[in-house]
Amino acid sequence: MTAHENGTAKAAVACEGVWQVFGADAEHALGDALKQNDGNAKAAASLLRERGLIAAVCDVDFEVGNGELFVIMGLSGSGKSTLLRCISNLIRATAGRIQIEGEDLRAAGERRLIELRREKLGMVFQHFGLFPHMNVTENVAYPLRVKGIPAKERHARADEVIRLVGLEGRESAYPRELSGGQRQRVGIARSLAVDPSIWFLDEPFSALDPLIRRQLQDEFLRIQTHLKKSIVFVTHDIAEALKLADRIAIMRDGEIVQVGTPAEIVLRPADNYVRGFSRDVAKGKHACVDSIMRPLDKDAPGADDPGLRPNMTLDAALASCMSLYEAVPVRDDNGNVIGSVRPKDLVAALQVEDS
Amino acid sequence: MTRISSIPFLPSLSSLPSSSLAGMAVLATGGLCLIFASVFPWLVVFPEAWSLPMSEWIGVSLTWLFELIKPAVRLVSFVLEYPMAWMNKGLTTTPWQISIGAVTALGWYIGGWRMALLGFLGLGFVLVSGYWIEGMNTLALVGVSVPLALTIGGLTGIVAYEFARVRNVIQTFLDIMQTVPTFAYLTPLLLLFGFGPVVGLIASAIYASPPVARNVLLGLQRVDAEIKEAAIMSGSTRMQQLFLVELPAAKRQIMIGVNQSLMAALSMVIIAAVIGGFDDIGWEVLLTMRKAQFGESFLAGLVIVAFAILMDRMSARLIEEGARFDFRISMGIFAASVLAWLAGSEYLPGASEFALLDGVAERVDSGLGEFTAAQGARLDEIKNGAMFYGLLPLRIGLDEAVLPFTWGFQWDAGMSALLLGVAIAVALALAYRGRPLAGIGLVLAAGMLETGIANLPWPFVLAGASALGWVAGGRKLALYAFLMLAAVLISGLWERALLSLYLCGASVFACALVGGIIGLLCAVSPMAWRIVRPVCDMLQTIPLFVFLIPVLMFFQIGEFSAFLAICFYAIVPMVRYTRHGLVETPAELLEAAQACGSTRWQILRDIRAPYAAPTILLGLNQTILYAFAMLVIAALIGTTGLGQSIYLALGQADVGLGISAGAAMAILALVADRLVQGFARSRREALGL
Ligand SMILES: Nc1ncnc2c1ncn2[C@@H]1O[C@H](COP(=O)(O)OP(=O)(O)OP(=O)(O)O)[C@@H](O)[C@H]1O
Ligand SMILES: [Mg+2]
Repeated sequence: MTAHENGTAKAAVACEGVWQVFGADAEHALGDALKQNDGNAKAAASLLRERGLIAAVCDVDFEVGNGELFVIMGLSGSGKSTLLRCISNLIRATAGRIQIEGEDLRAAGERRLIELRREKLGMVFQHFGLFPHMNVTENVAYPLRVKGIPAKERHARADEVIRLVGLEGRESAYPRELSGGQRQRVGIARSLAVDPSIWFLDEPFSALDPLIRRQLQDEFLRIQTHLKKSIVFVTHDIAEALKLADRIAIMRDGEIVQVGTPAEIVLRPADNYVRGFSRDVAKGKHACVDSIMRPLDKDAPGADDPGLRPNMTLDAALASCMSLYEAVPVRDDNGNVIGSVRPKDLVAALQVEDS
Repeated sequence: MTRISSIPFLPSLSSLPSSSLAGMAVLATGGLCLIFASVFPWLVVFPEAWSLPMSEWIGVSLTWLFELIKPAVRLVSFVLEYPMAWMNKGLTTTPWQISIGAVTALGWYIGGWRMALLGFLGLGFVLVSGYWIEGMNTLALVGVSVPLALTIGGLTGIVAYEFARVRNVIQTFLDIMQTVPTFAYLTPLLLLFGFGPVVGLIASAIYASPPVARNVLLGLQRVDAEIKEAAIMSGSTRMQQLFLVELPAAKRQIMIGVNQSLMAALSMVIIAAVIGGFDDIGWEVLLTMRKAQFGESFLAGLVIVAFAILMDRMSARLIEEGARFDFRISMGIFAASVLAWLAGSEYLPGASEFALLDGVAERVDSGLGEFTAAQGARLDEIKNGAMFYGLLPLRIGLDEAVLPFTWGFQWDAGMSALLLGVAIAVALALAYRGRPLAGIGLVLAAGMLETGIANLPWPFVLAGASALGWVAGGRKLALYAFLMLAAVLISGLWERALLSLYLCGASVFACALVGGIIGLLCAVSPMAWRIVRPVCDMLQTIPLFVFLIPVLMFFQIGEFSAFLAICFYAIVPMVRYTRHGLVETPAELLEAAQACGSTRWQILRDIRAPYAAPTILLGLNQTILYAFAMLVIAALIGTTGLGQSIYLALGQADVGLGISAGAAMAILALVADRLVQGFARSRREALGL
């Protein structure tokens, strides 16, 4: 289901051992701490903290495939924004390798970074970051303006993305005249103006009330089905992460504690921290039959066949095997049996957190 | 990607923004004046017969009033003589060892060894300069006037806070007080109190109270609503709320007021020396300046600077509520100074016998003499260049300033036509490219340069000010600007007002340009700011008067020296505000711009500059007010215009002229202030702040 698994194309974003340490002479202090702990990241991070530095991102590795929607999620202060800023190079990571479509960003010069931002990268900010002295069109057209595109052309393109985010009619309004939801639409439109292939979003919907948030999430998904961009999306809201993500990375104190699909996060949390997130989530909605399916040779299915499919949600599967005790077969689209599921596993998967 | 055709951006008259319409109206007025000037000379020179003899009226009525209240005033004066005499006696007779010891001990207590050292060195410098007695005389005046100012200002602030109904009146009054030039206070006081130090005392008490009132009011208004409510719910009476909770909670802001008040008092005491009759340090500066003993006046000026720095830094320490330092060490320092006095008074010279720096003064004098002898030609070249090619054309216009003797050719009507023609052509091109306002501004600038500010037809000035008012703040502000300037027009002081406007405008323009560039530089390079910042701090601490000394040393008396003095004083806010505005852009906007792929320069131009515009405008506003304040002081070294009138009025005790010219000056400053504030406000609103 995720694009990165086919592994042929270069990853859109690849991070390898990325560190961001704040404090005096951070680079040197980090090298020193790593050396003292034989490269053990955890120990190095705690040593840094003891010395009064802030290790906001510690030894982070992950890859985002082409067209993948990758969500970074964690509690406030866990380093999500800092990590995103490292990736987009708004701040320069203290150590590690960050590659955008195979190009090493930390080695790129100022000029190349500007070029990349003008061609490939788009970013949406938590507090919108709209320019108060420009109206909607000017805000949206700004990335094109700094590229030197003539006024007529860039306004035409701006109108196009403004329509895409559903703001037509408000082109000449100023940010102060817009509601929060409308402002974030402008932010989204601006980040899309240069038609970037990689899209960064830092808690884009967190400052909005729940109804508007839901509406914008749906629209975001709609836009994404059109545009198929590679996305790094930061949020602290597990429901949002599960709803949007192809894969989720969970952060705590600067480290990534688990990376996985929504179902993996919900059904097989790596530790209590992750479990804490998924506790309140209706798991049956987010996990599918294939996540608990067993191979045929382990558990031969019984006689009953309630018609399970691998991509059915657990809720739906449970509903159709309510009164069954024996293992049931799972069939693919062609009707071939590809595995089996025990109803008690279904129940257990849904209740794992309550114990 | 489909492209959608966008709306063409060609301007049509009906769709022009109001600012362009206002500009066109001014342009039309100017054009009409230009055309009809030869037919109706009254368009250029406001006829004498139309103006009202306001100065005389004011003079007569005030003299009458003064006679009426003189007994009461004399009583006040009589009463004030006592604290002044005590303070003076106390400060001048205290042995210098003990004075220095006390200040050093105080410095230690409030700010540790740095403040102690500052106190020791500062007063030590005063001592060795040989101006100890004069310095103490000045200090005595400050010492009496500041408590007076604190009482008056504090009460005013509390009243303004307590009674919402009078608040606006008081605030307007404070605004006016801030713009009335310093010398203008002196003339009526001179008439009321007669010659003597009491005039300086009262003037400085009056001058130093508005900052206190302002800050008390501001501080009280800013106290957290919850704190106030907690006080009410605790069952306090209004008085208890005010004195036990609100005033203490506003302490920090009030201390800022005390600091400003101290500096204002010192500045005014020194300015009041022009009345004479009191052997203080300001008088010393004036005297030596008049005798062209620049070495000595420089030294005396440095003594003033030492006082200013001491007072400013020590009172600023009081604003910060940091930890105080060990009191026992303070006591130790003080005890040591007493011991030093007891033990050493026979061997050490008395306070006024120090003359260690007389040699320095002489060296400065002779060095300066040599320098001006060697470089005189070059200095003259600078001065004449600035006068002939900058200031003079601005004042009387290219048509009169361009002469064969200076420029090498004679300006004629053809050249005027050519200049205006080119300006109009460029303006049309600009209008076509969608920037009509820039075009109009260009034509106006060309026309003003051709005519000269002092020769501008009065309908044009009135129309211009009203148009600016209209654009900056709507009909009300337009009317305000018009009426205020009209009052100056019919008062018969118009020509002098234009001269003041010219010199002020020239210096403000120079300050805006140079200060803006320096501010920009400091915003870009922290290194530059590290150098510029202490210079700014220094320039802002020095009392106005002292600025005259160095420019006089190099450029003698004249308009250029006045221009320079004004610039040095007035440039500081421009630098500070420009930098501050540019640096303080919210990080999220900068990040957003960076993420859009802007270069540093694009960020500066597109994000930082527009965002900083309101702040920079406020800096410009301060610069204008500073320039007006200095304009009057600069009358001492040769300016024409209102400043000179005010200074002359002081010499002749002509209260009518003093007050009316002072009022005219205040009006100019107030109008400028309102206009710039208006622009700043509309810019801020445009940013949604
Ligand atoms: N410029 C900085 N200097 C020093 N410390 C910083 C800086 N920026 C972030 N930090 C620290 O790094 C840690 C991670 O911050 P970050 O903003 O990345 O958190 P976050 O996960 O985005 O939280 P939130 O959900 O509240 O936005 C915090 O402890 C923060 O204090
Ligand atoms: Mg964040």
